[in-house]
Amino acid sequence: MTMKIGILGAILGVSLVAASAQAGTIKIGFNVPLTGFAAADGLSAKTGAELAVEQINGAGGVKGDMLELVIYDDQASPKEAVPIAQKLIEKDEVVAGVSGSYSGSTRAAAGIFQEAGVPYISAYAIHPDITRAGNFVFRTSFVGEVQGRAGAKLIGESLGLKRVAIITLKNDFGQALAAGFKEAASSFGIEILSEYEYSIKDRQFGPIVSKVRADKPDVIYASGYFFTAGPLVSQLRAGGIDVPIIGQEGYDSQKFIEIAGAASEGTIITTSLDRDSSVAETQDFIKAFEAKSGQKADMVAASAHTAIKVLAEALQSSGASDRAAIRNAIAQTNLTASTGQISFNKLGEVQKSVQVQIVKDGQWHHHSVIDDAELLSPPSE
Amino acid sequence: MLYLELLFQGIVQGSIYALIALGLTLVYGLLRILHVAHAALFTLGGYIGVIVTNQTGSLALAILAAMIVVGLVGVAMYKLAYEPLLSKPPFIALIASIALFIAAEELFRIIFGPYGLSYENPPLQGGFEIISGFFLKYGEALVIILSILILSVLGWVSGYTRLGVSWRATVTDPDMARAFGVNTQHVRYLNFFIGSALAAVAGVLVALLNNLVEPTMGSVPSYKALAIIVLGGLGSIRGTLLASMILGVIESFGTIYIGHLLDRDALAFGFLIVVLMFRPQGLLGTR
Repeated sequence: MTMKIGILGAILGVSLVAASAQAGTIKIGFNVPLTGFAAADGLSAKTGAELAVEQINGAGGVKGDMLELVIYDDQASPKEAVPIAQKLIEKDEVVAGVSGSYSGSTRAAAGIFQEAGVPYISAYAIHPDITRAGNFVFRTSFVGEVQGRAGAKLIGESLGLKRVAIITLKNDFGQALAAGFKEAASSFGIEILSEYEYSIKDRQFGPIVSKVRADKPDVIYASGYFFTAGPLVSQLRAGGIDVPIIGQEGYDSQKFIEIAGAASEGTIITTSLDRDSSVAETQDFIKAFEAKSGQKADMVAASAHTAIKVLAEALQSSGASDRAAIRNAIAQTNLTASTGQISFNKLGEVQKSVQVQIVKDGQWHHHSVIDDAELLSPPSE
Repeated sequence: MLYLELLFQGIVQGSIYALIALGLTLVYGLLRILHVAHAALFTLGGYIGVIVTNQTGSLALAILAAMIVVGLVGVAMYKLAYEPLLSKPPFIALIASIALFIAAEELFRIIFGPYGLSYENPPLQGGFEIISGFFLKYGEALVIILSILILSVLGWVSGYTRLGVSWRATVTDPDMARAFGVNTQHVRYLNFFIGSALAAVAGVLVALLNNLVEPTMGSVPSYKALAIIVLGGLGSIRGTLLASMILGVIESFGTIYIGHLLDRDALAFGFLIVVLMFRPQGLLGTR
């Protein structure tokens, strides 16, 4: 009899151990473009997120439980993102999701996470409607309009340049930036001479270069990702245009400098990552990312890293069991991360300062910081 | 002066379109296959151009290497993918071609990485002012010079050599050509070699203008070159050249003056629709 109880106890014990091992992992959903046109940013985002998970697990996890990323390739496409969001919520039963993807797919997934009551953090997608999906959706990067306004302040006030030609990438990203820029332009005395639009597939800007040269602006405000901005800046310089070029976080990659080469020198951008920051979290991230990937750190990687850290912090303080409690904990975030001091407003938009970086000797460096709270205040409804 | 410059930009773009679309026309003229995977050969050309230039420092060598390697890959593509399907309806070959193209894009990503490649020391940067207000970039000058050179040689070969005669004979009537002792198999190989080599040159030139090759750089040419050969009149070489130039110029002016309404592709396809409404056979097509 005692032996029987002993065996029973052993079986029970083994199954308890198994159960606790299972409970020892916390699944976080991560949708990211790993194939298609956005695969480069996707790889950076994935590496940044994985780095954050390794760091958190290496330091003992969240209350002893290990984080596990459940990663799906959304090709930056809304029609891929919807089934992925459903799969993450229903099949993988993740406690929360993070988007390492662009606006289109993040916007599509946000509604599904909201409906299911699962917290969702957009790492670097900038469309204003993402957080408007509801109170379970947060964003750790700037809305496009906010960054556009920062660009206007940088040009009109810090640089004191007034006659601007705008070159806009025709998608959510570029148009939101242009809208913010134009909204704030007049208050900094900026005159917009001309605006040109290009599609994300364009790499040859010959006609725009010719026209901009004829417009004779003092400065060019051009939106784009590094794979459009690299060719654009290199062609503007090859076309004999030497006025300052102001970009934004889409440029924020060492690849931009590799593509544009010498032409990239002096390009100034508004972004989230300050390479010369004295903040320990930022420096640690930059070093760890380079060690892990062999690539220079970029904004996308830093943003994904930040989003995971924000979520881990919320899991730590809320106990990772109840999704509504996790949501409330995210809303209370006050964390120093690789992209600076993070807190959210009531819509779930991040409140932080804009980092201005400049290309010097083939590297991104600190130029200035814009921390005008009123100008940078994100939408709150 | 601005108009002159925009016209010139249009011709530069048109020359690149022409180099890509000619290979498609050659294939269509001979085999009636819409060779979508041709755009992957353009991408491959760009990659080889950048890699060889970075290794050797010589752009000329890079262009030559790209032409030869891509030409051979084009022949292999025909041999492995199209030849077994020749007896099937043409849409089967089209499906195979699309599959090849998608596979190639992902293969480029897996082999060379998603970030793309750039010239370490980009050749032919900068430019000069020919006359006041008219600025010419070195890279663009090379595009024009190479295109004229290549097209002249091609025109001479097809018009004045035995090779050209047998090629044209095969296009017109393969059975008759065979009866006269033309090895139509060789003509087809040659056809793919030349068409692919032209796409490779375009790839190297585009890589030079953008200083970037990336896995998806063939996605626009994959459909735009099809639009061009339809616009020119399927299988018509002159039509293809004309359509390339017209499209280049329309896109150049359109980008500036109606770019906020219609993007480049919309302009191109809008123009295609208008032309096909009045000339269903294309600009220089015969039907």
